[in-house]
Amino acid sequence: MPDLKDVVDSRLKLWCFFMLCTVIVLVVGLYFFQVVNTDKYVSLATKNRLRLIRFPSARGEILDKNGAALALNETTYNIMGYPLDLMKGDILDKFAGILTRQGINVTSADLINNIKKQHMAPYRVVTVATNLAMTQMAEIISDPDFVPELFPIPVWRRIYPAGTLASLITGYVGEISENELKQYTDKGYIGGDIIGKNGVEKSYEDILRGEVGQEAIEVDARGRRVKSIETRKAIPGKNINLTLDLVAQKEAFRLFDEKDYRGAIVVMDVRDGAIIVMASSPAFDNNPLAWGISSQEWQALVTNPYKPMINRAISGTYPPASTFKALMALAALSEQKITPQTTFNCSGGFTIGGRTFRCWRRSGHGTMNVLSALQHSCDVYFYQVGLRLGIDNILKWTELLGLGRTSGLDMPGEVAGNTAGRDWKRSRLKQPWYPGDTVNYSIGQGYLTTTPLQIALLYATIANGGRLVTPYIVEGHSKPPVDLKLDKNNLALVQRGLSIVVRSGTGSRANIYGLEIAGKTGTAQNSHGADHALFVAYAPAKQPVYVVSIMIEEAGVGGGSAAAPIAGQLLAYLLNK
Amino acid sequence: MTETELSIRDKLLKQDKWLFAALSCLIFTGIMTIFTAAAGFSGNGVAYSSRQLFVVTVSIAAFMAIIAIGHEKIFEYAYPIYFALLFVLLFTLLFAPKSMGSHRWFTIAGWGVQPSEFSKVAVCLGLSKYLSRNPPITLKSYLGALLLVFPIAFLVFIQPDLGSTMVFIAITLIALFVAGAHKRYLFTTMVLGVLFIPLGWNFLKEYQKNRLLVFLDPGIDPLGAGYSVMQSRIAIGSGGLWGKGYLEGMQSKLRFLPEAHTDFIFSVFSEEFGFVGSLIVLSLFCFLFIRILIAGMKSRDARSKILVSCISAWIWFQMFESIGMSMGLLPVTGLPLPLFSYGGSAMVSVLIALGFVSSIHISNIKLYKIEA
Repeated sequence: MPDLKDVVDSRLKLWCFFMLCTVIVLVVGLYFFQVVNTDKYVSLATKNRLRLIRFPSARGEILDKNGAALALNETTYNIMGYPLDLMKGDILDKFAGILTRQGINVTSADLINNIKKQHMAPYRVVTVATNLAMTQMAEIISDPDFVPELFPIPVWRRIYPAGTLASLITGYVGEISENELKQYTDKGYIGGDIIGKNGVEKSYEDILRGEVGQEAIEVDARGRRVKSIETRKAIPGKNINLTLDLVAQKEAFRLFDEKDYRGAIVVMDVRDGAIIVMASSPAFDNNPLAWGISSQEWQALVTNPYKPMINRAISGTYPPASTFKALMALAALSEQKITPQTTFNCSGGFTIGGRTFRCWRRSGHGTMNVLSALQHSCDVYFYQVGLRLGIDNILKWTELLGLGRTSGLDMPGEVAGNTAGRDWKRSRLKQPWYPGDTVNYSIGQGYLTTTPLQIALLYATIANGGRLVTPYIVEGHSKPPVDLKLDKNNLALVQRGLSIVVRSGTGSRANIYGLEIAGKTGTAQNSHGADHALFVAYAPAKQPVYVVSIMIEEAGVGGGSAAAPIAGQLLAYLLNK
Repeated sequence: MTETELSIRDKLLKQDKWLFAALSCLIFTGIMTIFTAAAGFSGNGVAYSSRQLFVVTVSIAAFMAIIAIGHEKIFEYAYPIYFALLFVLLFTLLFAPKSMGSHRWFTIAGWGVQPSEFSKVAVCLGLSKYLSRNPPITLKSYLGALLLVFPIAFLVFIQPDLGSTMVFIAITLIALFVAGAHKRYLFTTMVLGVLFIPLGWNFLKEYQKNRLLVFLDPGIDPLGAGYSVMQSRIAIGSGGLWGKGYLEGMQSKLRFLPEAHTDFIFSVFSEEFGFVGSLIVLSLFCFLFIRILIAGMKSRDARSKILVSCISAWIWFQMFESIGMSMGLLPVTGLPLPLFSYGGSAMVSVLIALGFVSSIHISNIKLYKIEA
């Protein structure tokens, strides 16, 4: 056997020889392309007559639960061309002339700017004019100045028949932004594509979008199509059906508009989390946004002090106020800090740590148990309950019942609210947690904030026997509820309390003949203005189907007077139709 | 025989000047080509070429640093370096954000770092140290070498980065061959490898399959992968014997050519400098390979001999694949042309590798003098 070192050296030489041979292969290849066949490739390069056209796919439609249209497509026409061909001669001057004759005021400089913005490659088609109606397009292409380098293609434009009624749910579409292009690099978008910007249009983009079609064509020297080399048909996006009931949604807006209220209404199916109504007022019309609006119009929308582009139902956070008392009662019963027989005396106020916390009823409620405390929304009773429970137990139950985090709703923009405790206060405010803070939490005030949807969720869990659902708005996207294994007796007691609230308590104005409604009022202190009014209810109380959560910003009166009647009417509308 | 440690100054003065000249020429031509390519697709050649100039400065510094430290010292840490890179790759796979469809990059101070490039250095070091201690003449040490490379190659494969995985395969096969493995073993490995191709096919992403299929027939998908190959071939072919002249290449200027500054950089060069220019670049690569192998042949250290075979296999494979692909002779894998393509990690790691070669060259002279 030869010495290993000699083997290694001889093999190194062999390897070197092999490498040099492979380089010769490359040289032969280059010789073949660059010397033997050069004429062929020079002519291919000078002609380079390959052009690519993209055909946008028709976006899937969005319908409500009964098939009413919320987002549809309308055919319009774009005039397209290739940068390579358009920059030649006076093509753009002539085209600007045609457009001016049609009453569209543009100069060729505007057109050039617009083309430069879209320019990716000279053989990639760019849009020269958009949003033309059929008649306009017909007149433009029959103009004697119209050149074959330009050609029309049909495109889809989004329209939202429901306008303000569902704008915050459907969202809207628009041209893809630089940031979105970067974010979705592997999804095949290019500049100028239309993408869902908000709402369901955004969260279900992948389903609605479909697949763009593409065609490679060979053109002649004047840019006229000679033949098609390959076509990939556009695949239209899929339609989606929402769980939303547009008629009920309209009724919700009507009830709000009647009184000129601002705020949010959520109606949810307590059994599976289907969103039936989600109204946020004021709302905006999403139609102009889909066509493109000027920056002034956009500025006016985003700087509007009433924030019409915020979906208050999921992005607005407010103190839950007295609606939180149902959670307190359930928590205290479950932690065995109180029993149904436990009573506290309400003298109209309560002092701890040198601070006096008043009951909303200054004269006091007298002796209260858990049922009567819910019925009359007695603050002092729940102050005592809060102190018995302690902040850690309260937060344990907010966590368990789905507060302080997003619910998993299939729409973008949901916020978590705030259920911060000791750690948060220590790091944010550099202060320890005081018993007074716990007292504030006990009636849903203090640092505590929730969204109207979270309140609906909390009461859905109480109504459906302790199952935490995941709200959803697109049919077929429900998730199985999580059984929280709550004690049935405790739940039944709280449910009874909530029934009494409507029958003969603070929520009696929600009482509708022939309907059994259970619910809870709330009046949230607002440091910026008048109090917010809250009311949350479910019905039928014996076999709950719907939960309604209502939040009226700066109502100035309590939830019992402003919000409760609306809840009653809406539930009656939903259950009696 | 007493060995005296050379000072850093002596080391730098005694480095392989021919090697340095060859790599400098290639890097310079590369920057010029990046300028013309970027002038085509972004209208701003200065931005890309000056960024590349910075990358080159860092890379040359790394090259000099390796010479100063010496390959002997670094060999002592071959295994720790190997495992460090293995860890970094795992980290990249788990935590790097997905960009362009793969978990290949993470960003440090605005510069994208591609650990798979650096892991090529680590594999070269680890493999040559292992094979010099355990010559692959027994099945056990032969399989041990395969087992050593497998984790890194696998992590790179699932990033997914098919091109770099093939680089690892080339490095391993050549290292085993040079280290004296039985031809029987090598033959069996290759046969098994070919048999496993259908199995590996299922692991490939759709775009990777397309690229491979398109290689077999560029006509099948002129809209996608085939389009690049066709345009690249037109660029090279239309360059002709003398080329269209610097900055005159229409294929890249009109953006017919995709990835002009990285994957298809040779097409840009070849369009403007023609067959003659391409011959010069290929000759420079040949000269570089010869310098690398001479350093190994003169060395008396088995580790160094195997190391140069690894490094040459790496640079050779990427060069061969990149140029072959641009002519449509090989499938598109997206490997950069060494010393040429735009990109930081690839440049730094190749120059680190060449630093080892130069260091081996220096140690050869040192021994030679002492003997005389």
